[in-house]
Amino acid sequence: MTDFKPSILAFCCNWCSYAGADLAGVSRLQMPPNVHVIRVMCSASVKPEYVIKAVTQGIDGVLVLGCHIGDCHYLTGNHRTAKRIPLLQKILDEAGIDSRRIKLDWVSAAEGEKYQKVVTEFVEEIRRLGPNPLREVRF
Amino acid sequence: MNDPGKEISRLAFDERGADYLLAVREEYGNAGPAFVAKGEDVGDIRTDIPYQLVTILRKIYPYMEDGKIAVVIRRCEEKALNELIKRGIIDGDRIIRIGLACSEGQIEACRCTDPVPSCVDIGSPGKGWNEDQLSKELSAMSSEERLDFWVAQFRKCNKCYACSTNCPVCVCDHCVLEECTFVAEKGIPPGMAFHLIRAYHLSDKCTECGECERSCPAHIPLLTFRKMTNRDMKDLYGYESGDTETVSPLLTTLEGDLLEEEED
Repeated sequence: MTDFKPSILAFCCNWCSYAGADLAGVSRLQMPPNVHVIRVMCSASVKPEYVIKAVTQGIDGVLVLGCHIGDCHYLTGNHRTAKRIPLLQKILDEAGIDSRRIKLDWVSAAEGEKYQKVVTEFVEEIRRLGPNPLREVRF
Repeated sequence: MNDPGKEISRLAFDERGADYLLAVREEYGNAGPAFVAKGEDVGDIRTDIPYQLVTILRKIYPYMEDGKIAVVIRRCEEKALNELIKRGIIDGDRIIRIGLACSEGQIEACRCTDPVPSCVDIGSPGKGWNEDQLSKELSAMSSEERLDFWVAQFRKCNKCYACSTNCPVCVCDHCVLEECTFVAEKGIPPGMAFHLIRAYHLSDKCTECGECERSCPAHIPLLTFRKMTNRDMKDLYGYESGDTETVSPLLTTLEGDLLEEEED
């Protein structure tokens, strides 16, 4: 499928990943334009419900980006995320939604290049997976 | 004992010093929950409990200011009670447990793997099932087939909220499933998000009692979904719900330390 343009949500934490995304932009790094960035105060404020809602409404992929473990502005916020997202991936897998559509990664404020790499690879992976099957499903 | 009702009331009031007894009894041909104070006639107590008494206990508990309450509990209810005690909703010292072993038929209905309560007072312990046939079949399917199966099942949902109303461990004061952010106010079926959010919320407390499946008017195999989620939880974090000590892995750091209390 060559003309498939995935739409992807990226939840970026205010303190690290959003600054990292900003740095990637300021540094003029080339990135696929499919990613919609949502700024959240901490990766732990990304309720799994939000991810579930996005996926069931037809978003092709969800990126959750936070500070590296130990660097969280709220000390243990990203520990929560690190526990929740793998479980969420498993639950989605049981329901038949490919768990690769959800990705958790750590991007610090200084890692503009890592942000570019994560986004590029994720968009490539979603392009291989194809559109979200739930986009076609009408409840 | 030939009369389980007499035996239950003897155990509760005489032997274990309870002030109240919560059990199921037959009245005018219907089985219903009965809350009996010490000294009252217990009536025709039944041992084939049709639903979770812990759900009823949780709902009347805030209005019971003193006294010890004896409850007839099966293994799943015991686990649910432990989960509630762990979360500080019920004071464990005020509850007196009267263990009831499930009959073969009940075990079969729940595909129950763990049917014997820690202390059996009534009934004879049966043997648990090894595996849920449907979850085995689903695991063998490809992910597209699995999605088709669940979409077809969840399309039957008529958003009656019976699964969450009858759930013994659904304890939030404000349910996110009643927020229009996650589940649309108008229209049925509510969509896939409803069931996935419920699966996520119950992942660290579901006791596989099967009440959601039994109360579902659309016969969605919810218990199978719960069993699959619980298995994932066990694979990922080695966590099984149903005791008073083990803290849910979602409430600890990666090293296993307790997170600070969440404020409402």
